[in-house]
Amino acid sequence: MFTIDRVIAPVLGIAFALALAVSSPVIATATPLAEAEKGAVAEIEQAIEGAVVKVAGEDEKAAAESIQSVPAPKQVAVEEPVEEKSKSTADHSKFEELDIDFKSGPQVTKACLKCHTEAAKQIHKTKHWSWEYINPDTGQKLGKKHVINNFCTSVKSNNTFCSACHIGYGWADDSFDFTAEANVDCLVCHDTTGTYKKLPGLSGHPNYETIEWPPHSGKFRPPTDLKQVAQNVGPTSRKTCGTCHFYGGGGDAVKHGDLDSSLTNPGRYLDVHMDSKGLNFTCSTCHVTDEHEVSGSRYGPTAADEKGVLVPGSQDPRNPTTCVACHGNTPHPDKAAKLNDHTRKLACQTCHIPAYARSTLQTKMSWDWSTAGKLDEQGHRIQLKNSAGKVVYDSKKGNFTYDRYVVPEYQWFNGKVNYTLFGDKVSEDSVVKINEFQGDADDPEARIWPVRVFRGKQMYDKGLQTLAVLHTAGKDDAAFWGNYDWDKAMEVGMRTAGSEYSGELGFVSTEMSWPITHMVSPKEDALACESCHTDGGRLAGIDGIYLPARDRMPLLDMIGFGVALLALIGVLIHGGIRVILAKRED
Amino acid sequence: MWKAVMGFIAGIALLGIVGFNTAGSFMMVEHESPFGIEETAARIQANIQRMGHRGWTLSGLRDPSKAVANSGRNVPPVLLVEACSTDYSGVLLADDQARILSIMMPCTITVYKKDDGKTYIGTMNSALMGRLFGKKVAAVMNEVAKDQAEFLKFDPNQPAPPLIKVKPGGGGAGGPEVSGC
Amino acid sequence: MEKIYIFKRFERFWHWTQALLIIVMMITGFEIHGTYSNLGFERAVELHTLSAWALITLWVFAIFWHFTTGEWKQYVPTMDKVEAMMRYYLTGIFSHAPHPFRQTTLHKHNPLQRLAYLFVKLMINPLIWATGLLYLFYTSWESWGLGWLNLEWVATAHVIGAFMMLIFFIAHIYLATTGHKPMSHIKAMITGWEEID
Repeated sequence: MFTIDRVIAPVLGIAFALALAVSSPVIATATPLAEAEKGAVAEIEQAIEGAVVKVAGEDEKAAAESIQSVPAPKQVAVEEPVEEKSKSTADHSKFEELDIDFKSGPQVTKACLKCHTEAAKQIHKTKHWSWEYINPDTGQKLGKKHVINNFCTSVKSNNTFCSACHIGYGWADDSFDFTAEANVDCLVCHDTTGTYKKLPGLSGHPNYETIEWPPHSGKFRPPTDLKQVAQNVGPTSRKTCGTCHFYGGGGDAVKHGDLDSSLTNPGRYLDVHMDSKGLNFTCSTCHVTDEHEVSGSRYGPTAADEKGVLVPGSQDPRNPTTCVACHGNTPHPDKAAKLNDHTRKLACQTCHIPAYARSTLQTKMSWDWSTAGKLDEQGHRIQLKNSAGKVVYDSKKGNFTYDRYVVPEYQWFNGKVNYTLFGDKVSEDSVVKINEFQGDADDPEARIWPVRVFRGKQMYDKGLQTLAVLHTAGKDDAAFWGNYDWDKAMEVGMRTAGSEYSGELGFVSTEMSWPITHMVSPKEDALACESCHTDGGRLAGIDGIYLPARDRMPLLDMIGFGVALLALIGVLIHGGIRVILAKRED
Repeated sequence: MWKAVMGFIAGIALLGIVGFNTAGSFMMVEHESPFGIEETAARIQANIQRMGHRGWTLSGLRDPSKAVANSGRNVPPVLLVEACSTDYSGVLLADDQARILSIMMPCTITVYKKDDGKTYIGTMNSALMGRLFGKKVAAVMNEVAKDQAEFLKFDPNQPAPPLIKVKPGGGGAGGPEVSGC
Repeated sequence: MEKIYIFKRFERFWHWTQALLIIVMMITGFEIHGTYSNLGFERAVELHTLSAWALITLWVFAIFWHFTTGEWKQYVPTMDKVEAMMRYYLTGIFSHAPHPFRQTTLHKHNPLQRLAYLFVKLMINPLIWATGLLYLFYTSWESWGLGWLNLEWVATAHVIGAFMMLIFFIAHIYLATTGHKPMSHIKAMITGWEEID
C-alpha cells in the first residue's frame, strides 16, 4: 500500500496527464454556443472588432513611421514646436533699428547693441565666447580652445569649420579679435525663426550668398534673411541651444548621447522635465543664466551637493543646475524612505536615467581614426553604412560604431576631472584618458555616477609622445579632409598648436568620459532595486561599498548552507529509521 | 484505494502546476545577439531572403516600441521581423483543422534590447508548438523550425546589410498585392 | 494516556506568529542576501522590514508575559538528564525506550530544549536583532558615534545569525515530531494540551 499510495499513483497521474496533453489537439475545442448566447456574443464581437481595427490602424501608422524614420530619423524626432505667443513687452519687428536689410551678422549685432548696450561686454566674459576654462583645482587650461577630444579631436587649425558653433563672427585663426563687440553673434542663441544657420567653413558666419549645402549635394541654400531673423529675436529655447549642443561631434546625437535633437520636442518618457506637453522646461530653466554666463558646466561639474535645495534668490554661489538644487537630498516620500538613504552614495542620475540616447537617434559609441584616409580605386572618398543607414566608415574620419538606448557605465565621481592635454606624455602601452573622473568610495564628495565612456583610437605624435593636433578642415591643400595626406595635415596642425611635427605618426587608444545628466526618465521608469542589488548588476564594477545581494562571503554561505544541509540530512535519516522501524512493527 | 486516487490526482495537479509555470519558457526561445538591434534585424532579413528557395519572403518590419513611445511611455527598442513562406502556410491553410494557426502568421522573429543593454532575439519554439496540433502540423512546423534556425546563423565576416523596410502586411510569396500569407 | 495543559493561549499565539514571521524573514532575508530572486528585491526588503518590526513588537509583549507570569523560569538551564536526553535521541527513540523526561506544567521543556531555547533567546535573537537594527539604520551610525562600524561586518554577522536560525529551524521542526506520537507535540502547540505516556 505504501508504494502504491506514494509512488505509483502520482507517477500514473503525471503519465496520464502527459498522454492527454500530447494526444489532444488544443485547436479542436470549438464549443458550440447555445442559440440564446450567440446574439449577445456577436454584438460584443462587433464592438471589439471595431475597437481593435482602430487601434491596429494607429499602431501600423506609428510602426510605418518609425521604420521610415530609420534612414532619416530627424523627420520623426524633430517635430515643429507649437507656436507660442511671445510674452515679451517688446515686439522687435516694430523697432526701426531692425528695419534694415542687413548685409552681415556684425551689422545686426551693432543694431542690437544700440539698446542692449552691455550685452557684448557680458558675452565677452563667458565660456561660450572664450572657449576657455581654467580649472581652479588643477590649474589646467580647458575649454574647446585647448582640449583635444576623441571626436574631431581639436579646434586648433580647424577654426573656420569649428567656429560654426562659436557665438561670434569670424574666428578663423589666432588673429580673431575677442574684444570686438560687433563680433558677438546674438542671433544664434536668440533666433526664434529656426532659419538662422551657421555652416561649417564660414568661420561662424551664416551664409550671406546662395551656397551649395551639403557640398556637392546639388541642393542650394539661399542667403539668410537677417532682417527677418533680427525682427523675431526672443528668449533661448531647446532649439537654439540644441543648434550646437545637439549636434556636437559633427552630427545629431553624436557627442553627448544624452543630448540630441529628439529633445527639441520631447515626450514625457524621454525627459520628464522638458516634456513639451508637460513641464516643458527649456535648457535655461535649469541652466540659470546670469549676465549671459550660463551655469552648469561639464568642465567644473558638481558631483554631490549636500546643502540641499537652492532657494531662488539665494546669494549662495552653488551650481543651480543640479537635481538637488530643486529636489533636495531627501526627495523620496516617507514610504520610500530607504531610497533617501541612497543619496549618500548615488547621484540622482544613476537611477533616474536608466539609459541614454532613448529616441530613435543613434549615438556614436566609438571612433577609430587609424583607418581614415582609405580611398577607392578612382581615388574617391569612401562611405560605408550600417543597417540603420548610419555611416560606419568615412575616408575623412575612419570607423564608427553606434548604439541607442545605451546603458551607461558607472563610476565614483567627486566632480574633479583631470585632462590629458596637448604636450602631456602619452604612449600606445596604455589607454589614454582624455579626461579622468576622480573619486572613490571613501571620498565624501563622491557619488556613483552614470557615465558615457566614448572610446577611440586617434592620432599622436610618436616622436613627441603627445596627442596630435591634425589639420582636418579647411580649403587649403594641407587639410586632411581634402587631400588625405597625414603628414601634411599633421605638420600644419602641430605647428598651429605650437610644436614641430616629429614626422612619426601613431595611433593611441583613448577614452573620454561624459557624465550622463540629461534625458531624465519619469519616476516609473527609474531603475528597480534589483538592477543593482543582484549578482552582475549595473554596479557590478563599483568597489568600496557593501551592496546587499551583490556582495556576500562565499565561504560563510558554503559553511552556513552546508551545516543546514547536514542538519536536514541528519533529521531525514533519523526520521527515516523511525518510519521504517514503525512499519516493521506493524 | 482512496489514497491511491488522491495520489493520482495530486500527480496530475503537480504536473499541471509545473507545466503551467514553465510552458511559456518552452514555447518561446530567447537568444543573445552579438549585434545591435538594427543590424541583428537586417542580418535576419538577409538570411530570410537567402532562404527564398523554400518560399520565404519578408512580409513586414514593425517597431512596436515606437507606438508605445508615441503614447508617452518608455520602452527599450523592439523590431519585429516578419516573414512568410507559402510552402508552409499553404499546407496549413488548406486544412480545416489547422487553419486557425493562421493566427500565428506571418512568422515573426523579435529583436529587442533588455535592461542589461544587450540585444536579444526571440523566436517561437515552432517545433514544439507544432507538436500540439497533430502529426501533419507537426511535420510542417518542424520544417519551419529548421528554417528558422537558419535565419539566426550569422556570419560576422559579412558586412552589415541594410535594414529592409517592408510595409506590414505586404509581401508574401504571392507578390506585393497579397497581404501577408 | 494522559493529557496535560501546557501551552497557554498567549504562548501559542506567540509561538505561531513568531514561526510565521521567522519563515517570512528567512525567505525574504536570503533573497536580500542574493541567494535567489523570487519576490524582487524591493518587495523582499519591504516584507523583511515589516516582519522585523512585527516580531520586535511581539517580543516586547512576550518578554513582558514571561516576567509577569514567571514563565521565564522554564528556560533556566540545567545539565540534569542532558546526557540521558542525548542517549534517548540517539538510540532509545528507536526502541521505544521510556522518555527520560516527564513533562509537567512547571517543567514543560526537556533539558535539551531548555538549553536550545536559551541559546536562541540569548544568542541568536540578540545577534540578529542588534545587527538587523544596525543594518536598518546604517545612515545614522555617524550620529550614534558608531562611524567606525562597517556595513560588511554587520551584514556578515546578520547572515551568521540567519544561518544559526535556519539550522535551529530544521532541528526544531524535526524534533517536534518526536513526541508520544509524531503529531503529539504539534497538536499541543496548537491546542495547548499535550498527550503524554
